Amino acid sequence: MKIHELSIKELRGAIKRRELSISEIATAILDRIDEVDNQIRAFLKVDADSLIRQARELDRRRDTGELKLGFLTGIPIAVKDNIVTRDMETTAGSRMLEHYMSPYDATVIRKLKQDGALLLGKTNCDEFAMGSSNENSAFFPTRNPWDLTRVSGGSSGGSAASVASFQVPAALGSDTGGSIRQPAAFCGVVGLKPTYGRVSRYGLIAFASSLDQIGPLARTVRDSASLLQVIAGHDSHDSTSARHPVDNYVSQLNRDINGLRVGVPAEWFSSSLDPDVQHYVNGAIRTFEQLGCKIEEVHLPHSKYAVAIYYIIAPAEASSNLARYDGVKFGYRTGEYPDLESMYRHTRSEGFGEEVKRRIMIGTYVLSSGYYDAYYLKASKIRTLIRKDYVNVFNSVDIIVGPTTPTLPFKIGEKNDDPLEMYLTDIFTVPANLAGLPGISLPCGFTQEGLPIGVQILAPHFKEALLLRVAYNLEQALSVRPPQQPSSSSSI
Amino acid sequence: MPITKEEVRRIADLAKLSIQDDELERFAEQFQKILDYFTQLESVPTDEDDATYHVLDGENFATPFRDDEVRPSLSSEDALKNAPDQAEDHFRVPGVIE
Repeated sequence: MKIHELSIKELRGAIKRRELSISEIATAILDRIDEVDNQIRAFLKVDADSLIRQARELDRRRDTGELKLGFLTGIPIAVKDNIVTRDMETTAGSRMLEHYMSPYDATVIRKLKQDGALLLGKTNCDEFAMGSSNENSAFFPTRNPWDLTRVSGGSSGGSAASVASFQVPAALGSDTGGSIRQPAAFCGVVGLKPTYGRVSRYGLIAFASSLDQIGPLARTVRDSASLLQVIAGHDSHDSTSARHPVDNYVSQLNRDINGLRVGVPAEWFSSSLDPDVQHYVNGAIRTFEQLGCKIEEVHLPHSKYAVAIYYIIAPAEASSNLARYDGVKFGYRTGEYPDLESMYRHTRSEGFGEEVKRRIMIGTYVLSSGYYDAYYLKASKIRTLIRKDYVNVFNSVDIIVGPTTPTLPFKIGEKNDDPLEMYLTDIFTVPANLAGLPGISLPCGFTQEGLPIGVQILAPHFKEALLLRVAYNLEQALSVRPPQQPSSSSSI
Repeated sequence: MPITKEEVRRIADLAKLSIQDDELERFAEQFQKILDYFTQLESVPTDEDDATYHVLDGENFATPFRDDEVRPSLSSEDALKNAPDQAEDHFRVPGVIE
């Protein structure tokens, strides 16, 4: 196997046995990025010099015996560009922050550095993480490695595509309504959204603060567990981060799941589900049965309202969070302004892209005088009903299984003209954010045309160890193999 | 309720956005469709339910105020380094007092 194809676990073993130096790994990763990223365009920024410097420093400390190997020591990790880094620009995929240099590192970045991870670049995303296709990036869309005419998903499409095309073994993303799990499904990788509050949001550029959560994307469940182990935990810089103890996610993966109660929501298998998605997700459910799990049909009666209330609550929070982009303290400022009012207006109108403006205006509308009760308050109350649906279901089952997405990855440009149609692609992912639950998407099959399909598993709050163990057992049993390499590598 | 171009302009004003005349119609159509989709929520009974603003309950998830003690924070140099315009350790903006 080539170095760039190795998992975190394999790279860690090779480093430990001194079969590979960290500099060799860094060089192999940079070569791979050079080879394929001009087609996929997963990265907004790759800092090759810094990567080589970090790797040499680790090798030097390794030679003198000072280096203690953590979970990620010497492992290159890519970071979604809405997570702030002191050493590299952070744009959030927006012209508004095109040259922004954060004065501090996000807590997850500090933790990765402490563990010895190599930070090599920032991945593309929909502007301010608002989108389901990566087409809302102000710079360019990231393409799907399995079919370059299709979307990589969003908003963490750059992170998912970089991992899928073997440019990096793992990446960080963020998930507000499915932005880790949906691109993971579209790109055929593993994507984990932790419980709300499990990972610090300090330094995650705020989109919808009651929903946002950082999580890992990787090619294996085990690698996802390693990354979560490093980034999870309470942080005094984020008052919404939980004091709940952090489990050992990696050591429990091998335990079997015999006797586990698996809930399958009837509402998630309607006639509008793509037949290929239905076929392979059903295959995953049968595999759970073969692993000794008890399959039960469950009901989430309010899940049909999830997209509507998500697209009230998330834009409402966004309209407030994005008020800070006013051309005063950081970011873009318009060139011409006779007074303060026009400076604000021109700055925001020129700096934000269309989808961001649309969501700011929807959010402003649903919070505005006369509409607040009918939209924002109503949605926040139905959010309670969605939470209760899950509490009820988790009284009778241990986990919930279903599709991650209703369709296969769609064509670039296919859903651009109709925002509502794009929003509806989030139907299976938004409930986990609204209820704060941990969720994971992992590949459960590839279509004959070679497009990946993701299966989603949800667990109760803070049951990431269970979630990862279930996903690991399924991953090992399914042993999904793509019919071909990602298109970019076969064509080179 | 129909979303008119004037209503879009009113919302854009509140959000400190300028929308070009040729964009107003498109935004109005899109908002209409999105708000029509929201109407399904009207029929959901919620009189008995509290709103959810934070998904986790319990003391492990409380968001208490910390003690009011002085801690190191960003230097003014760091805080100003991304400013579009600055002078004498301050952010500079157009005059607001006539």
